[in-house]
Amino acid sequence: MNKRHPFNRWLIVGAFAACLAAPAGAQDAVKLISVGELSGGGATVGTNFKNGADLAIAEINAKGGILGKKIEVTHYDSQSNPGVARGLIQRAIDEKPYAILGPGFSGSVKVTAQLTSDAGIAQVMGGEAAELTRLGMKTLFRTSFGQQSSMPKIAAYLVDEVKVKSVSMVWVNNDFGKGGRDTLSKELQARGIKIAADISTEAGQVDFAADVAKVKAAGADAVFVYLNEEESARILKEIRKADIKVPLIGETTLLGQKVIELAGEAANGVRGHVGLTTDAPVPAIQEFRKTFVTRYNYVPDHNGIKGYLSIYMIKAASEKMGKLDAKGLPDALKNLTILASKEPGILMDVTIDENGDLDRDSFLGEVVHGKQQITKILPKLKK
Amino acid sequence: MIPPLARLWQPAALVLAIMLLIALPFGLERYGIYILSLWAVTTIAAIGLNLTLGYAGQISLAQGAFVGIGAYTAAIMTSAGWPLLVALIVAIILCFAVGWLLGYPALRVQHHYLAFVTLAFSTLAFLVFRNEQWLTGGIYGIFGIPRPTIFGFSTRSAQAFYYVCLGALGAVSLMAWWLVRSPWGRAFTALRENPLRAQSLGIDTRRYTLMAFAIGSAIGGVSGVLYAPLVEFVDPTPFSLVLSLNLLLMVIVGGQGFFFGPFLGALIAVLLPEWLRFTKGYYLIIYALVVMLLLIWSPSGILGILDEALTRRKTRRASALRAAARPTLDEGRAP
Repeated sequence: MNKRHPFNRWLIVGAFAACLAAPAGAQDAVKLISVGELSGGGATVGTNFKNGADLAIAEINAKGGILGKKIEVTHYDSQSNPGVARGLIQRAIDEKPYAILGPGFSGSVKVTAQLTSDAGIAQVMGGEAAELTRLGMKTLFRTSFGQQSSMPKIAAYLVDEVKVKSVSMVWVNNDFGKGGRDTLSKELQARGIKIAADISTEAGQVDFAADVAKVKAAGADAVFVYLNEEESARILKEIRKADIKVPLIGETTLLGQKVIELAGEAANGVRGHVGLTTDAPVPAIQEFRKTFVTRYNYVPDHNGIKGYLSIYMIKAASEKMGKLDAKGLPDALKNLTILASKEPGILMDVTIDENGDLDRDSFLGEVVHGKQQITKILPKLKK
Repeated sequence: MIPPLARLWQPAALVLAIMLLIALPFGLERYGIYILSLWAVTTIAAIGLNLTLGYAGQISLAQGAFVGIGAYTAAIMTSAGWPLLVALIVAIILCFAVGWLLGYPALRVQHHYLAFVTLAFSTLAFLVFRNEQWLTGGIYGIFGIPRPTIFGFSTRSAQAFYYVCLGALGAVSLMAWWLVRSPWGRAFTALRENPLRAQSLGIDTRRYTLMAFAIGSAIGGVSGVLYAPLVEFVDPTPFSLVLSLNLLLMVIVGGQGFFFGPFLGALIAVLLPEWLRFTKGYYLIIYALVVMLLLIWSPSGILGILDEALTRRKTRRASALRAAARPTLDEGRAP
């Protein structure tokens, strides 16, 4: 008879219990904790951010670390769930890190910002929703433009360069897409531009035929497309099929490398504003991209650059203080201008303002023959 | 006969577990307390589903939506200045009513088809949470949900709010304990085992099916009412179909139809991923493998294993008694 021992089962349970102990970090290191979307709906965002941060840490550690101390990082997975992110940020704070990286989703940032602010620990994150830096948190810092910086540039571009009177907007209904849509429509209406169609789509949507039919029926002077990379490629193909001739305008994602690869011919002629791109004609960014591709075997999106920059922002602020003082770090980051000539890892000159927003050059681009070309460099707002 | 000591181990283990749950926050950091609170809140939702699925046999993929309805009720009302207790009562009534309505399809369809109907409801609820921005704050959610003050004591601290969650879990458990032992609970089980026979015995299967849905959903609502002030933020993403599937997983892994099944299932669903974090990127794969192996091993969940072991022991004991009684018969048969 096949006799089973119930105790074997409990042995397995015991083995799991034995793995409870968390690895203890060395005392004399710069301890960073990253909470990001490593699984779930935001996995691309979180993984890019993580890989970018890991790359920067490896580079800095190879050169002796920050003020002679090596950086140690622990990555936690928020599963793209704000409730989990909150718990993990709490855990991160309990572990007394030097700074916290992430999360990337604005909703997750919003539920965690109060905790890091109460603890006085700098949180260098990837969220782009306009409101994040208006919550009055003293320790929250962006790694990219917020939508309140990028959308006015798009609106100005539509009015001054493309010279449109009406725009159709297609956006993805998550905090990223909705945030962009809300900010841009306010900017457009202020400039007297009519919004001919306002079309919300789903993350992961495959069929855009109905949405494109609506865009065609609206007959606006331009179409603003604000979707994630894969969906952008799908809608571009559908738009070409429907023979829509008006300019297609986007922000960062629409002109991304991944969209160009997936959409092929359909991406040609797409124009827009690019805050942070691996295609920027900046030697340092090209160098970063090459190193990233060698290490991870894929081309990063702008989240990869965000992760990378987060580490160099922390490094520059620490060197400004001249010491590793976690409580002093948020103040050191404020009103800090980091020059690429002094700190090449920052890739482009950047100024962090009082609220944690960034100011730096950005680009206007166009896809020509399957390649993103930068047509104009928009200078920093404040010199 | 079972010796009295063996009969005592169950209540003793229960008392020990309760004492442990009360004492645990003193040895934990805030993060640990948060996870424990999350466990308590999730367990409440799973207890609700266990009533609907485990006892009454009605599969539901909508429990996450009821947690959402509860959470949004609490978020909207407490943000507007209402006390959490009022929000709790409103959420219970609302979820009970919606759950009752959702029970109607269950009168016509069963099993997979019922799962699809409830899945549709779950998606519908998610769309309402996300698109009705005037009410729910849309994709931006509702931020800054206050934690309640009970009899003058603020529950702002992690520890204080943990005891609120634990207290609620205790109250819901007691209610469920009473329910499954009452004629209602027997009627639910009869409904699960053989609806036709239940009807022939005079059980109003129609009313009990609706009731199973309504009560399970109302308990889901209670869980949501606690979730909102625990996280202090609600947005639609946590209440998508994934939560309903997760709750289903908890009930099945813990052992559906066992009273303590949801407790164990939620413990595994909330804590196992935490414990496995040291494996870095592999933790979800390992978690999935563990759950799959467990279900292949014992389709009736963890408590199923225990139940099986206890039954085997009882059988062995009974066999031993039989064997002991046999020699007198064997003597006569001996050559």
